[in-house]
Amino acid sequence: MNKASDNNLMVQVRDGNVEKLAVLFERYHVMLYNFFLRLTGNRGISEDLVQDVFVRVLKYRASYQGQDKFMIWLYRIARNAHIDFLRKRKDEVSLGEQWDEAHSLEPSPPEKVEQAQEIARLNLALAQLPLKKREVIILSRFQNLKYKEIAELKGCHIGTVKALIHRSIKDLGKAYFELSGGIAS
Amino acid sequence: MKCKQIKGKFADYLIGEIDEVTRKEIQEHVTACSSCREELESLSAIWTKLGVLPEEQPSNNVRARFYATLEEYKQNMQQKKERPRLGTLMDGMFERLMPRRPAFQFSLALILLMVGLTAGYFLRAGLQGSEEITQLRQEVRQIRQITAVSLLRQESLREQLRNAGLSSQVELPDEETLADFLRRVDSDITTDSRLAALDALFPQSPAIRKELARSLSGQTSPVVEIALAFSQQIIKF
Repeated sequence: MNKASDNNLMVQVRDGNVEKLAVLFERYHVMLYNFFLRLTGNRGISEDLVQDVFVRVLKYRASYQGQDKFMIWLYRIARNAHIDFLRKRKDEVSLGEQWDEAHSLEPSPPEKVEQAQEIARLNLALAQLPLKKREVIILSRFQNLKYKEIAELKGCHIGTVKALIHRSIKDLGKAYFELSGGIAS
Repeated sequence: MKCKQIKGKFADYLIGEIDEVTRKEIQEHVTACSSCREELESLSAIWTKLGVLPEEQPSNNVRARFYATLEEYKQNMQQKKERPRLGTLMDGMFERLMPRRPAFQFSLALILLMVGLTAGYFLRAGLQGSEEITQLRQEVRQIRQITAVSLLRQESLREQLRNAGLSSQVELPDEETLADFLRRVDSDITTDSRLAALDALFPQSPAIRKELARSLSGQTSPVVEIALAFSQQIIKF
């Protein structure tokens, strides 16, 4: 994936060639979906939020500056969409309950039970973290964003991001350890 | 490096944003320090475990909704292109006329401001002059009418003779003035005053002619009767 071409495509979208947004959608919609899924734990809500992000891209396309990195700009929109969603819902979605419900609909085969339990524990451990810590782990571990990019996205110093990631991994480890019944693996 | 400094680099170590020298320093430190080693192992374990979380695929509904939205957006754009707004056209025109350099833009804005102020000043002055002249004309006309009526009411012969001269300058007398003139022709005490009033009513409209014909039958002065008859004869010719 060529990031420079992302910017070129978005510049074309900004200048009126909105067809090019289809290319960017194909590149980023799965990534955005997983970002929202790990934040909310709900597949339906995550799909709605992906749609909301691309509607906002069309709405605010004129504000895109060519020198901005497209992915950062897209994640900024995604974060705003999620914040607005939480405001509407008044309180944060109970991630643990959402994951339980989702997995109960798709029972794992017997040979994968252990792996499914591991996944469930990790999702529940993530769900127990405050949004700020959960988000920074998702961005660095699953979305592969660098310190600099996360700092730019959140509008803070790189040192703050480093310290936050360190604390978040530590808290996640504690939560996972407790969910495993105190058995470190 | 001390334990605190080493621990501060653990996140860099896990994520991989670290140079080779620092990586070796951390590895050497944790080999010797059991406390730091335990913490790094714990962090590393959970960080690695996160890798088992699979990437999920959204339903096809997401794609269908996106393309429907994009299509609708394109149609709206097309409609807007077909019906360009006046404001958009004006914006485009001004954009083409506007110089590129800010200094020239400022100069142009200043010149336009000066032109606007000057034009406004002269237009206002011209409008005020025109209004004043119209007002003065109305006042002069009113003064002439008032003077003519006032003089006709004078009893002295000298004033009545002056009346004949002034009254002929009254243009378009109002209804009140005409009624006063007709009353003077009908019933003024002096013959001269009746003749002056008759003279002031010239040129005569059809309504005045009718009134004068009626007045002829009630006249007692032969001179006034002759003048009225003469007036009617002129009309007949």
